[in-house]
Amino acid sequence: MIAVRFRRRLPEKGALAVLADPDAARSLRLPGFRGEAEEAYSHHGADGRRVIGSGLGSNPTPKRVREAAGRAVALAHGERRLALDARSLPAALAAEAAVGAALRAWRYSRAPAPREEPPEHLPPQIERLDVVVADRREAGAVWDKLRPGVAGTLYARELVTEPANRLTPRTFAARLGKLKRHGIAVEVLKPKALREAGFGALLGVARGSAEPPCVVVLRWKGKFDVPPVAFVGKGITFDTGGLSLKPAQGMWEMRADMAGAAACAGAMLALALRRSPAPAVAVLGLAENAIGAEAQRPGDVVSTVVGTTVEVVDTDAEGRLVLADCLAWTLRRFSPRAVIDVATLTGAIVTALGHHRAGLFSTDAALAAQIAAAGEAVDEPVWPMPLSEGYAEALKSPIADLRNCSPERRQPDACHAAAFLKHFVGAARWAHLDIAGVETREEDEPLGPRGATGFGARLLDRLVSLRFETEER
Amino acid sequence: MLEISFAKPSLPTSGALAVLATEEGLAATLAELDRATEGVASRAAAAAAFKGRKGQSASILAPAGTGLARLVLIGLGKAAELTPLGVEEAGGGAAAALLHDEAAAVDARAAALGQAGESGAVRAALGAVLRAYRFDKYRTKEKPEDKPKLARLTVMADDHAAAKAAWPAAKAVAEGVFLARDLASEPANVLTPAAMAERCVALRELGLEVEVFGPKEMKKLGFGALLGVAQGSANEPRLVVMEWRGSAGAKGGRKGAKQAKASKPLAFIGKGVTFDSGGISIKPAAGMEEMKWDMAGAGAVIGLMAALAGRKAKVDAVGLVGLVENMPSGTAQRPGDVVTTASGQTVEVLNTDAEGRLVLADVMWYCKQRFDPAFMIDLATLTGAIIISLGHEHAGLFANDEALAQAILAAGKATGETAWRMPLGEAYDKMLKSDIADMKNVGGRPGGAITAAQFLQRFVDGCAWAHLDIAGTAWTTKDKPTVPKGATGFGVRLLDAMVAEQHEKAAG
Repeated sequence: MIAVRFRRRLPEKGALAVLADPDAARSLRLPGFRGEAEEAYSHHGADGRRVIGSGLGSNPTPKRVREAAGRAVALAHGERRLALDARSLPAALAAEAAVGAALRAWRYSRAPAPREEPPEHLPPQIERLDVVVADRREAGAVWDKLRPGVAGTLYARELVTEPANRLTPRTFAARLGKLKRHGIAVEVLKPKALREAGFGALLGVARGSAEPPCVVVLRWKGKFDVPPVAFVGKGITFDTGGLSLKPAQGMWEMRADMAGAAACAGAMLALALRRSPAPAVAVLGLAENAIGAEAQRPGDVVSTVVGTTVEVVDTDAEGRLVLADCLAWTLRRFSPRAVIDVATLTGAIVTALGHHRAGLFSTDAALAAQIAAAGEAVDEPVWPMPLSEGYAEALKSPIADLRNCSPERRQPDACHAAAFLKHFVGAARWAHLDIAGVETREEDEPLGPRGATGFGARLLDRLVSLRFETEER
Repeated sequence: MLEISFAKPSLPTSGALAVLATEEGLAATLAELDRATEGVASRAAAAAAFKGRKGQSASILAPAGTGLARLVLIGLGKAAELTPLGVEEAGGGAAAALLHDEAAAVDARAAALGQAGESGAVRAALGAVLRAYRFDKYRTKEKPEDKPKLARLTVMADDHAAAKAAWPAAKAVAEGVFLARDLASEPANVLTPAAMAERCVALRELGLEVEVFGPKEMKKLGFGALLGVAQGSANEPRLVVMEWRGSAGAKGGRKGAKQAKASKPLAFIGKGVTFDSGGISIKPAAGMEEMKWDMAGAGAVIGLMAALAGRKAKVDAVGLVGLVENMPSGTAQRPGDVVTTASGQTVEVLNTDAEGRLVLADVMWYCKQRFDPAFMIDLATLTGAIIISLGHEHAGLFANDEALAQAILAAGKATGETAWRMPLGEAYDKMLKSDIADMKNVGGRPGGAITAAQFLQRFVDGCAWAHLDIAGTAWTTKDKPTVPKGATGFGVRLLDAMVAEQHEKAAG
């Protein structure tokens, strides 16, 4: 993450970006720049210094400020130092500017072959950001609370960006092991332990791959003596679809099919970095869905942690199989205050909500409302979707307790998938976030470059601070 | 339509009888039946594991000690959880069980609802009528013994007199539903735009004012988008405007009431693509026959207007339907064509199969300019994306007005024609940006139902508006308690209930 400093005076060197509302824009005298929202302008001054104007519009919201800062960073492409003039804003909003800037300035750090000189197509990155603000102490204090969420998001983005040959279930688990240094307890359940615990559905998904699966449990102790809030993440490090093979076109995007697990891990990092008092646990089901002689076949029946049998009519509806075991096991082991699963689960949710909102399914109206509020607050909007009884009909199997999806065409598969998961959560307070469609960006946007978004990390972090940082159960 | 009468509860001596029973009331019901049937009722219930649960039924043929041909037990569920909708569904269950009996009775005593203005008997009768619907105009060789026989149903309840008085209003709604189902069931070679307009004209006898516009008039009104869709077909398009002025009657009745200012009407707009081949962006052959019901939105609006007029609703309402056929031909609109809508906004038609929104755009704009309505609600089988989103459980609801959305959601729950709110927003609106016109008519697969709604929103001109995408709910491939397989008439009951609850209670 870029280094952020708050200061009172404009620095003498580096690029300068002014966050301006229409009033401030007039006094700036940048030709044509009016300070409207979504407007951004860049030129080089007589001294060769780059000057950027990024519009806030009137009465800017935190979101507007974050996006204006993000636009400024995008225009500062190639600069190593950037000063954001946020003196027209109160301290809390100036801290939000740092959030937007840090989110936009991120770049995937692990180029496959590290070189001494960065290749020509990779211009230098902003290394230092000075946010100029009247009350730098107060802005800094707000930033200290927001920075962990940003760190969690960028951590998730790194993981999601990793190609599947570098991020296997094992190497994913190894990277998560390093979270120990932040005070997170890390436990890894390997195939033998999974077999003993009855993770038949997860193991079925993993059978076709040479890479063994695992379940990683991350625990943050917090301060309160209450059961933890639990996050369950889908971590398919690559999803070929299995024997129900996906078309070649676009299959490369399936390296991001572990974005749910990455978001949960990012949220845990955020909680640890800001020393949240709320106990939390993340259970991440990591597996590769590949084709092989041992691969699961369409029509196979598997048995889950709780003994429920599932007919796998489509091996590409594998995320729900992994989540079923992980959800059931999490409830048994931790009896959490609430459990929220995050998964790039269905193509249907992309058809339903596009790339601007994740699908939210929940049996608990209060929890759903808090998740929606958290999402709005951190630019990770969700939309409630139905869990009506009627959807369960499609999951009836002639030979098992359930089937994993409807074999017919044109089905509301996001609703079916949620109805499937509902079988495994009993009466627990539960919500399911289908983040397919929002886990990556197709184009550069104000709050992030093209590629992984880290969607979910800031949302879960904010949810915990809104809802779970009290000792009430 | 199944003929309904209401009567005092008694044990019929012939025909078939269905008895509605709650879980708690089952023992008493069975005890009473046992006295007449030499204990058969209890034994049959036990053998069928009938507990009175919702959706349960048990049928007994020719029970001893009675002249009955059939005795059917229908479960209502728990007494404390009994709702008007639950009673309708039980009534529908009774009709389904009695379809092959010529005359039958329903004992609806257990369905008493105990709410002011709600009659369990009426609800049971309505459910039965709705379920007994059948479209068999084109079955010419069916043997009489294969046809359903049920023609008369007597509903027995303690409030039979009140039920009898309340029935005509409920019956009018059922007739509206049937009209909508008939229209959607008709094949497209019979139900052309002109033929469908004629069906609307026939509604003048209910007291509706009906105007029909042809292509010439629409050209004058600037309906470039609707006419573009129609231009590939040999069947001319129509715009039908139906007006129901029901509020004046209510006010006129009050002595000394001042001549109230004409109230803003409620407006309902329907997509009536009598057949949608997709046009030059032609659809795949598999399933194309379903496109005969791509006029179900218009069908629902027509059914709704018939229902409001039929029950003399005390509101002012207008129904507008845009009727066209979407065909490929030498004169058909091409992908890439640009059309000018009645609003003056231009649209680049990238996909000729996204035609419903083009039809609605012109009709909605015209409706707003001409009537300045209190709100506009449009119904349309608009997108395949809404089926992938919500399946056949709920219609997609998009609205720019919170109160209107809540009213529709509530009416949906009350009638079982449920809607689910879907999002609108600037980010989706941007997906409609065109390189050469004000907008394009498709925004791509992601969020396809949402971008369709965003398109429509550009033509509401500041009016409170809701859009119901009924592509997944206009037709059912499975029997449901009050809806037999086929056209559902979705929207008629929903909007009739919404109007009654929101716009007539206050007025009365």
